[in-house]
Amino acid sequence: MVIGLARSAVRGLRASPLTTSIAVFTIAAALVLAGGFGLLVANMGDLVERFGEELQVIVYLEAGLEGEALRELAASVGTVEGVADVKIVSKAEALARFRDSLGGAGLLEGLVDNPLPASLEVSLRSQDRTPEGVAVVVAALSGLPGISELAHGQEWVEGYARFASLVRAGALALGLVLAIAALMIVANTVRLAVYSREDEIEILLLVGASRSFVRIPFLLEGALQGAMGGALAVGLLYLAFVAFLPGLEYGLELVLGNTAPHFFSSGQALALVGAGGGLGLLGSLTAVLGGRPAS
Amino acid sequence: MSFWERHSPGIGGDGAVRTYHVSKSYIAGTFALHDLTLEVAKGEFVFLMGPSGAGKTTLLKLLFAAERPNEGQIIVLGRNIARLREAGVPALRRRIGVIFQDYKLLNRLTIEDNVAIALDAVGTPRREARTRAFRMLKQVGLQHRRYHHPLSLSGGEQQRVAIARALVNEPEILLADEPTGNLDPELTIEIMDLIASASTRGTTVIVATHDVGLVERYGKRTILLDRGRIADDAPAPGRSL
Repeated sequence: MVIGLARSAVRGLRASPLTTSIAVFTIAAALVLAGGFGLLVANMGDLVERFGEELQVIVYLEAGLEGEALRELAASVGTVEGVADVKIVSKAEALARFRDSLGGAGLLEGLVDNPLPASLEVSLRSQDRTPEGVAVVVAALSGLPGISELAHGQEWVEGYARFASLVRAGALALGLVLAIAALMIVANTVRLAVYSREDEIEILLLVGASRSFVRIPFLLEGALQGAMGGALAVGLLYLAFVAFLPGLEYGLELVLGNTAPHFFSSGQALALVGAGGGLGLLGSLTAVLGGRPAS
Repeated sequence: MSFWERHSPGIGGDGAVRTYHVSKSYIAGTFALHDLTLEVAKGEFVFLMGPSGAGKTTLLKLLFAAERPNEGQIIVLGRNIARLREAGVPALRRRIGVIFQDYKLLNRLTIEDNVAIALDAVGTPRREARTRAFRMLKQVGLQHRRYHHPLSLSGGEQQRVAIARALVNEPEILLADEPTGNLDPELTIEIMDLIASASTRGTTVIVATHDVGLVERYGKRTILLDRGRIADDAPAPGRSL
């Protein structure tokens, strides 16, 4: 029975290759655009997550704070709610890091006094690595003595997260519009198929076929068209990803920082194919339930 | 006592079809069928006679639930058509075979598939459906044309395919609406013999026709319809109602 229904659906698709192709390509086009945005959003989300993981607060200390006083301050910073770890960076260590970052000592050779302050690198607990968590820790640290300045990437991270949310909302809105367009096209394709097979539907109902028996092949047709469109979209996106990525590296670096862009995981790719299938199914449901087949 | 038995005095028994004061109207004030009461017993062969517009096709449509009556009750194989839900229609139709004047075959399918469609529709496994369809085609003498398409067949052959499709499910009732209307006299007899043979196997047969010669040749009970009413109900010779 199930095989028979599937066979009937495939026969239906093969009976009208042109309309089937139009529906498949339209769904693919809609999903390529929506999927492209999805890919960007997924990569931006990864970057936001990575920022979160690296999010820490640097506590610059007043000059002269050394020895026991420095350790006491570090200990009291360690007790602040949300703080996971505190690392003391002495003036000498700060200078050594600066020298390393310059790639040598050339520029710093004439330096008599070390102008860099000692600092504390404060790591946050994983659940507090958010803009809100940073704000709480910064507020608690502000009142402690011996601190000259607090540095953190909170504002930048917040701004980036807002930008990522905006892109995500845009992708969702665009995806929704494209999904509706694809849905209407599938609905019309299936409706045409229903009209072109009215004689068959009439005979099936006449010989005692149930309505679901008559409708299921049309629903399968829609779902198959959608899934084929989804698979085509994944293929096209992958080709575009591989072909155009080298040329876009500079632009992507502005958006994604130095995170290497990645393609969809196999699960996400399957979800895109499933989304196509779902769109097709919805479209054919609209067509089949919205009008014929009649009695 | 059922609703039917309480409200249908004089019509009881083991009828395949019973109608009680049935009226059907498509346009307000005009009746296609008006106050029609009749009974067809199981296994009976009945001709529905009458000119075009007499209500023959409407009555047949009511019997296989393609239409619903405006008034009255229709009991077909124990099911009340007037109150039958949409979901109950397929189960009823599986017990009824229908033949039309225009055959209603699917030209893109082979004739074997045209017959098997009646079995596919009720979930018969494909292999079994093809075997039974072939056996049925053999009964109507078309087994050698099983892979042909309807358009390559003559009118008589196409009607034999339609009969095979109507009978392949071994229905309890066979309805035929002008089954020989498009055929020459020789083929008419051939087709009617096939339909009559179903009756001899116990199937209730109702044939709508305006061919008086046909009615006279087969000598079966004949219900004459005129403008939606029963004008005459003549029993088969040797049998009284």
